[in-house]
Amino acid sequence: MKHPLEVRLASVFKDIRTGPGPDGRLAVAAPAESVVPVLTFLKEDGFDFLQLVSCVDWIREDQIEVVYLLSKYVPAGGEAEAGVTGIVLKTRVPRAEPVLATSIHVFPVAEPYEREMHELFGVTFEGHPRLIPLLLEREYKIPPFRKDFDTRKYCEDFFGSVPPVGEKK
Amino acid sequence: MRILWFILSPLIALAVGLFFLGLARKFLARTQWRYGPPIYQPLIDILRFFTQKSVSHGAVFDLGVILSLAGSFIVVLFLPFGGICPLQSSGGLLVILYMMLLAPLGLALTAGEAANPNSSIGVSRMFTLALGYEVPLLLVVLAVMARYDTISIVEIVAAQREGVSNLATFPLVLAGIAYIMILPALLGLRPFDVMQAPQEISSGPLAELGGRYLALAQLQHAVNMFIVVSLFVNLMWGGSSNVLIFLLKMIAVLLFVLWINASFPRLRIDQAIRYLWRWPTLIAFLGLLLVEVMRK
Amino acid sequence: MDRNQFIKWIESPGKMAHKYSLHAVYFSTGCGIIEVPPSITARWDAERFGVIPTATPRHANLFLITGYVSLKTLRAIIRTYEQMPEPKFTVGFGSCPINGGMYYDSYNTIKHLDRYMPIDGYIAGCMPRPEAIFIAVTHLWTLIDKDMADGYKRYRKYYAQYRANQERVLGRLEWPPLFPLEKVHEASA
Repeated sequence: MKHPLEVRLASVFKDIRTGPGPDGRLAVAAPAESVVPVLTFLKEDGFDFLQLVSCVDWIREDQIEVVYLLSKYVPAGGEAEAGVTGIVLKTRVPRAEPVLATSIHVFPVAEPYEREMHELFGVTFEGHPRLIPLLLEREYKIPPFRKDFDTRKYCEDFFGSVPPVGEKK
Repeated sequence: MRILWFILSPLIALAVGLFFLGLARKFLARTQWRYGPPIYQPLIDILRFFTQKSVSHGAVFDLGVILSLAGSFIVVLFLPFGGICPLQSSGGLLVILYMMLLAPLGLALTAGEAANPNSSIGVSRMFTLALGYEVPLLLVVLAVMARYDTISIVEIVAAQREGVSNLATFPLVLAGIAYIMILPALLGLRPFDVMQAPQEISSGPLAELGGRYLALAQLQHAVNMFIVVSLFVNLMWGGSSNVLIFLLKMIAVLLFVLWINASFPRLRIDQAIRYLWRWPTLIAFLGLLLVEVMRK
Repeated sequence: MDRNQFIKWIESPGKMAHKYSLHAVYFSTGCGIIEVPPSITARWDAERFGVIPTATPRHANLFLITGYVSLKTLRAIIRTYEQMPEPKFTVGFGSCPINGGMYYDSYNTIKHLDRYMPIDGYIAGCMPRPEAIFIAVTHLWTLIDKDMADGYKRYRKYYAQYRANQERVLGRLEWPPLFPLEKVHEASA
């Protein structure tokens, strides 16, 4: 028995898949080009709170998955709409060239999240005005959250190469 | 002989002021159920400040702190302490009132030269607080001067000695109440220590003072405590011809103010001004009217 | 005060004053700052030892590095340390300043703080209890007595090496060198 939201989504967008998600959320999988239209549709439908933009590194499938978590504010004294408490929107981009359109024009709150994903995973969001580092101080050859970044080796090579201070032998 | 008292009097004020600073910290610690530092801790702190290498921000920076300390020392010369008063000129009280403002002025010069925004905020709050307590203070002093028809503080002390148990005589009771209400503001203690709030503005005007300059600022703080408390005892509690009894009276007043300091949180500067210009000013004004009415 | 103390006060009052008036900069470095408020409030009273927190580095002569130091924090720590007037002492709390501690394989924290700024002593633990903080203060007194707490002198002497390490890790430093580099180069070469 499909939820009316699923029916509406399937009627507008032909290339997405929907299904039940965790915590009562509705899981939606969309290709990279449809992300912004789907977000606009969901925002007009009532899910106007973007909770999180995050990434998963599927190294064996050579793809990076970008995840959007949406929900809606429940008015005081009311209860949530039966069935769907939020949306999990997932999309995949190739690992070698991870480029996605920015969702700032739909949800302005996504600006720091996209900066963070850019510096930690290397995902480029086209149209973002300020993709400058948010949390990190240094530049890294491989973005640090990717699975092929060997953090222990990096520490030994980089921090181990700083000489101790004292009399020169 | 007078020359000797010119030199000794500021030194005595300094010693008593440092003792008061240590007493303040010890009293605060004991009210908070802990032990606290020894009473001579301010001496150790100031000695440590003098041995640190300080950073100066220019000539005005150096001179401002010296100006504030010198201003405080000059006020000490006019205040009777027990039987000691080196400068007993006839205009005593007026000179004291306007020389007391040299100290914040010197500190403001130093803080302005430091070019730290925290210092500037602290200076503006310091002067706003001074504006706040000067109004009731001037009304109280006017009431005292009108009661005894003199502006010499030595004559005021002598006139009060004839009263019963040296407390200010009846017409001055309202002025006395107003004076007690503004005493924490004069000393820079809670609830009016917004000028030197470490948690809010990084110690305000003292934020950029290190080493020697901080030592001088602490010395000025000590002398300022002495000046304010001894002014209260002279105007409202009859002073004394005996140095020891004067000291005991000062300690009693100081303990009362420290008790308020330990119990109250800090007021914002606008709350402080609203308080200082409302009830203390009203009561001081009524006290002045009372003195004039009872003159007949 | 016994006679031994009295003679020490007369001979070197500056050193004794530094011992009994250790004002700490209230800089919350890492997770270890959680152990500092209990030790300065009523239960474990640090004011008995003369240790009080100050708001500005200009008033302080003790710097407590209470936990892991990420790269952004290292930038702020060095600026604060250089603003403190000499003589000044630093104490590393916990295992993170010693060898990286729990974050030994993190790409964003530094492992050996002693290579970027001088440290006079470490307190082991994760985090040390307030009693350990007081034991460290008394140990620091002993070090100051024996003139072994010379972190600030090491900073002045090897400033070229410290600054090279800082620049290597942080990239560009916005503040000019604290001590002139050419002169110090000759001294330590």
